[in-house]
Amino acid sequence: MSEILQYIPGASLLHRLSPVTKLLMVILIVAMSVLTPSLIFLGGLILAIFLGAVLSGMHREIYNQVPFLIILGLFLLLITTLTVHGGETFFTIIPEGIPVIGGGLPVTEGGLGLGLLFTFRFVVMILSFQLFIVTTRPSELVTSLLAFRMPVDYILMFLIALRFIPSLQLEAKRIHEAQVSRGYNPGSGVIGRVRSLRPIIIPLVANSLAKTQVLGLTLDMRGYRSKKTLPLHALEFHKRDGVALFLLAMVILAFIYHHLA
Amino acid sequence: MILASSLSYTYPYTQTPALRDITLSIGAGELILITGPTAAGKTTLCLALAGILHHELGGVITGHLSFQGKPIAEYDGMRELNTHISMVFDDADAQLIFTSVEEEIASGLETRLSTASERVSRINEVMNVCDITHLSERAPYALSGGQKQRVAIAAALAMNTGILILDEPTSELDVHATDTIIRILKELKNEGKTVIVVDHSLEGYRGVADRVFELKEGKIFRQGTFDELFPDVQGSMKALYDEPDLTPYLHKETEPIICIQDLCHTYGNVQALCGVDMKIYPGEFVAILGENGSGKTTLAKHLNGLLRPDSGKITVLSLNAATEPIMTLVRHTGLVFQNPDTMLFADTVEEEIRFGLDNIGAQNPEGRISDVLSMVRLDGQEKIYPRHLSRGERQRLAVSCILAMEPEIIILDEPTTGLDEEESDRMMHLMKSLQNKGNTIIMVTHNMRIAEEYADRIIAMDNGRVTGDYAILRGETS
Repeated sequence: MSEILQYIPGASLLHRLSPVTKLLMVILIVAMSVLTPSLIFLGGLILAIFLGAVLSGMHREIYNQVPFLIILGLFLLLITTLTVHGGETFFTIIPEGIPVIGGGLPVTEGGLGLGLLFTFRFVVMILSFQLFIVTTRPSELVTSLLAFRMPVDYILMFLIALRFIPSLQLEAKRIHEAQVSRGYNPGSGVIGRVRSLRPIIIPLVANSLAKTQVLGLTLDMRGYRSKKTLPLHALEFHKRDGVALFLLAMVILAFIYHHLA
Repeated sequence: MILASSLSYTYPYTQTPALRDITLSIGAGELILITGPTAAGKTTLCLALAGILHHELGGVITGHLSFQGKPIAEYDGMRELNTHISMVFDDADAQLIFTSVEEEIASGLETRLSTASERVSRINEVMNVCDITHLSERAPYALSGGQKQRVAIAAALAMNTGILILDEPTSELDVHATDTIIRILKELKNEGKTVIVVDHSLEGYRGVADRVFELKEGKIFRQGTFDELFPDVQGSMKALYDEPDLTPYLHKETEPIICIQDLCHTYGNVQALCGVDMKIYPGEFVAILGENGSGKTTLAKHLNGLLRPDSGKITVLSLNAATEPIMTLVRHTGLVFQNPDTMLFADTVEEEIRFGLDNIGAQNPEGRISDVLSMVRLDGQEKIYPRHLSRGERQRLAVSCILAMEPEIIILDEPTTGLDEEESDRMMHLMKSLQNKGNTIIMVTHNMRIAEEYADRIIAMDNGRVTGDYAILRGETS
């Protein structure tokens, strides 16, 4: 089973960076990706993230995401080319020759450009976030989120969501096997597929809801109810954090220069 | 330490009380076993003793409950009580909240121990007691049932409370894992902790429990020492498949219904099955017995095509189970999984059974539904929402969903987990009657008692291999 968004123990450069440094980097990188309208700059960011992944030996995690990102990209391109028109028209999906509807659905420079922009932004966000999660111990994740003054309740919610992803994957597999044993045969076509999700989704949701009471009571028994803030672990910064933040500062400078020029 | 007098409790939105007129006292340093059939109020009593009923759940509480001389309702909620009492719930998976074992245990400590070195030494201490030091970096979902349970106990222990309450810590565990848990409880008692443990199985508690409360329908039915209450019960651990005192099985002359030759299966780099050979004959009632992780379930999944062999041959009836589509195989081999909740999704019992029938395009669904419902004694419940049934009823419904498809071979994966003795026996009688009708029954289990009592043949498995094949001879009585 491939694990989605789970911490992978290791001792690489990214693992050893302070979680606060990493979170700061993720926030600033995501912010820049939202602000920039430049495909070239976004391409540069993606390249930088890939470099970081290779340096910390996490490139396989990134490669695993590629098929998903391609599907996401194609979907975004389809939506934007169909809905956004502007600039030069490259061609029309319905050829000119056909009467009445001929020349409809033009594929334009503006539509394609926007689609690419969205795709690149999502790639930056997803990959940087993923790299942060897989290289950061969950307790350090909590520390870093606390350092940014996130409320404890939200941090716990986030942590619990991450923790239960693989459990849900396992449970879904178990349910699927149980239904297949009853001759369950997922339907074909979009509607068939959606309808045939019912025998899987309902037990999955019902079983998860059944767990919530125990989960809540466990948190109570461990004293989380009374906890308004978790004590901060001593935050440690090393030279490597300085270097990483310096590199980030260079990227920000490049960002400013790129957009002023 | 804990004193209850005439305590009764009714859950919100229900009519029947879950606890009736409970009067008990528990002293410091005692190890108390609470036992009784399903729905006797064991879990509710745990919740009451932990203060959860008063402070979290609401409902109607009458009578008196005090802890260390002070009424439990007067404590400042769970935030005060959790410094005195910790509880381990029966669903081990739901109470492991963090992403690694070590953090799970550390989670409750941050508010209690101020320095990191104190925390580390406490964590190491409880991991040592529960024998999970080697798991400290692992993620909870990747652990076995027994390991999860031990981590949950360690997390509760780390709180260093005087009282530890455990709700069915061994219900899904095999003999060795249960033995480990009971050994841990014994150690805790020796350290002076008060331990309250719920278990519907009595095995292993003789000489361990100081006193036993037996509940029935919300009342204390009997109480006393283990020897007073259960003089005849085998109170020590029994793992017959370690040293079987059984007759070797002699193969029949007839054509087998299932024939497995040199079956191997590997998950990633774990060899789950290795060189398994097995012949099962029509009309047999076979128990496949082994510990958790011995490969029993993996083997069962090969019989209806859910898993395919890496190498080796499987023939079911005259079908090649290695290549035949699952849709064909499930018509002949009905596999019922351990937990009925993994399959129940419909709005009514009737619709639940119809799902399988529609999938295979069965004739006369109405007739089959009413037939199987009377067979599993759920007649009259056609319109009920399946998840409102009791655990035993849900298990029988799960079985009836498979029975309605009329497979020749019925495979049950741990059919008695979570069921009390009465429900387990009811399930086994049903299987016996199906065997008499000509079905072949294969039961995967780690419960030696039911295997010995009901099966004709026991196949023992360990570490992905068949380690023994025995006939059960019952003489004139059966």
